[in-house]
Amino acid sequence: MAFSAGALFAEPSGILRVAVGADPETFDPHFNDLPTGNTVDLLVLEGLFRLDAENNVLPGLATDHEFSDDGLTLTVTIREGRTFSNGDPLDAAAVAASFTRMLDPEVGSIYRGLYSSIDEVVAIDDLTVEIRLNERNGHLLLLLAPTAASIINVKALEEMGAAYSRQPVGSGPYMVESFVGGERYRLVPNPDYEGDYPATLEAIEFLVVPEDGSRMALMETGDVHIVERVPPEAISTIDALESAAVITPASMFSINMEMVLRGPLEDIRVREALNLAIDREGMVQGILGGLGTPSVGMPGPGTQNDLRVTFDPIPFDPQRARELLAEAGYGNGELELTMTCPTGRYIKDVQVCQAIQGSLQAIGVNTQANIVDRGTWSQVAATPPGDRTDNMAMLGRATAGMDYTLYRLFRSGVSANTTGYNNPRVDELLVDGRATNDLDEQRAIYGEVQEIVWEEMPFIYLWYQTQALGVADTVSGFAVQPNETMVFDNVTLNN
Amino acid sequence: MIVFNRLAASLPTLLIVSLLVFWFVDFIPGDPARILAGPMATQEEVDVIRDAMGLNEPAVTRYVRFIEGIVNPDVAVSLRTGRPVATEIAERLPNTLIIAIGGLVVGLLAGTITGVICALRQGTWIDTVITVLTLAGISMPIFWLGLLCIWLFAVYLGWLPPAGAATPAHFVLPILTVASRPAAMFSRLVTASLLEVMGRDYLDTARSKGLSESSVMVRHALRNSLVAAISVAGVQFGAMLGGSVITETVFGIPGIGRLLVDAVSRADYPIIQYSILLFSFFFVLINLVTDLLTLWLDPRTRKSEGAN
Repeated sequence: MAFSAGALFAEPSGILRVAVGADPETFDPHFNDLPTGNTVDLLVLEGLFRLDAENNVLPGLATDHEFSDDGLTLTVTIREGRTFSNGDPLDAAAVAASFTRMLDPEVGSIYRGLYSSIDEVVAIDDLTVEIRLNERNGHLLLLLAPTAASIINVKALEEMGAAYSRQPVGSGPYMVESFVGGERYRLVPNPDYEGDYPATLEAIEFLVVPEDGSRMALMETGDVHIVERVPPEAISTIDALESAAVITPASMFSINMEMVLRGPLEDIRVREALNLAIDREGMVQGILGGLGTPSVGMPGPGTQNDLRVTFDPIPFDPQRARELLAEAGYGNGELELTMTCPTGRYIKDVQVCQAIQGSLQAIGVNTQANIVDRGTWSQVAATPPGDRTDNMAMLGRATAGMDYTLYRLFRSGVSANTTGYNNPRVDELLVDGRATNDLDEQRAIYGEVQEIVWEEMPFIYLWYQTQALGVADTVSGFAVQPNETMVFDNVTLNN
Repeated sequence: MIVFNRLAASLPTLLIVSLLVFWFVDFIPGDPARILAGPMATQEEVDVIRDAMGLNEPAVTRYVRFIEGIVNPDVAVSLRTGRPVATEIAERLPNTLIIAIGGLVVGLLAGTITGVICALRQGTWIDTVITVLTLAGISMPIFWLGLLCIWLFAVYLGWLPPAGAATPAHFVLPILTVASRPAAMFSRLVTASLLEVMGRDYLDTARSKGLSESSVMVRHALRNSLVAAISVAGVQFGAMLGGSVITETVFGIPGIGRLLVDAVSRADYPIIQYSILLFSFFFVLINLVTDLLTLWLDPRTRKSEGAN
């Protein structure tokens, strides 16, 4: 089902070359936070579960799983006879060791907090592990599917030390042959791989080139088959190449201006006015070169799409915006706002902020745009809403599931909630939604949350991002997950 | 003795730099744990990371560990990769040095040749062409020139690879690009100093001894500009180390400059601190070497130093 017969029987052939924009620096899944690192982990390691190109959960090493009646234990059966690429057995004990390492405070994995629902993971026999929880979590499979939950060989890691982060020992279809920091890394097939996604390529070579122009040049000269992060201004150039085209897979990132719900922005009429002032379609076409879709609700597309509720697009209506401001008691030029914008964090972030500034000016709101470096921006975003001196900040949010996104953004008092949004009904729903694994219940709960939040407009909704990659015509079967992880499961090169 | 004095004088400079480099990261906005955790992280997730990074320890403890890290690489590890900073730097330093030294040598050669031509053919068309080119070389931003070179030599002509560091051919474009500025500086310097001495008596003396015009040029006139050239070379070499931040980003070369840029965007403090310390060390070293070379070449400065 997930594999094609051709891929199963054909010898791996062809060397695929890929130019990426960011150095993954580490392939240790407990420390990697970059899509370029996820891409390698997906090829080199395996998890109990995995995500497909639409972020649906598929089985990985797991053959069966079952929740206990109280919902606090997940029992997972794993495949028999699997080994790591160095020959060590990949049994239940190895799975438990991998999770234990991630949860160990001494190790300091950046994901320990994300997996805080898990109390411990215990091997019951050779092929059975129990994942014991400290709270009901109906979204556990979505947590176990990303590469952060991949199974690493803890025994090999202890022997190798820091070197493990560059040459992880896993059970996936490929192995890391070499990694020259900041420049390139090369994957080759794992001859002992026994899973459903056998290697189709003789080697995959990645080149790290952060500068957009230089990375595009590699595609233009034919040095690489795939180039990621094609900037809006280069799309037509890459598309015009005889032997390549630009693909635009959906992204799980939504970009918004998150308002601090204090002072003038406590008034829903003001928030609605600001939303009506923005020409989203013009922004997406004119500034982003089409690499986005105007937002119609949070969360955006990407994960659990069947639980999403979408709304009518917000009209561009500066006239109505002015009326609402007048109703709220603000005449022309009487409302002054400050917004914080990062530079170089999101596609065309600075230009977008300037456009928003202009749009708000046009409805008589004097807006100051503070364009700041990444460090300052992250500090502003982490400041509790009550201590903020600005009125809004531009932020991109990943949609890794309803619980993940909505709980973090709209549960009162959670630190990723930068707006100070506080609605007791939403709080209640979010707690219930986390506890249930019944899909219909989740649909009702999250449907209500999405509607309440959309009505209350804590954000100036902007757009859902679209990815852009250049792909040579000789490549087939290439896919990209919404979190920018590249999927090479079925890739073949036809020369 | 002079050498020893100069060396001793460099130590306090390095100590002050080490203090500045250490303290300044406390003033950079942004919490590295927060940056690593990402904007979706909860406070508890950030606290876990802060603790693991040792950022909750007092500043004095961290400074002592910072200094200890200079001699004991195991103490100084990247926040991001967990590998020793010394390893990260050692892997990348050769690339940076190859480009800086290569650029300086190419620049020196090209600058001297064009400088001599300009001096000898003053006012002709070739002088005008070279003058325009040197002006361009001094004025053009390196990242722009780099992208132009990539377009011309890699995309349009297809002679050289556009980016990466896998083969020696990958280093040609970056070296040519960084050579542009020193070439222009040397060219102007050589022309100016040649024009200044060309009418002097001692050159006539040399000519009257029957020396050919070219040996008059090389052995007498050019030698006179050597002292000035060395101080320019020192400054240019330093500038090239600083400029590696840009060159290495444009050409996708894994050097110290790129290491530093990546570390800044991820707030990987140990990498930032030790890279800047290393850059400072190079600057101090370059100054020392230029000073000593100047002393050695110019007896006048040697005498006045000795009198002090």
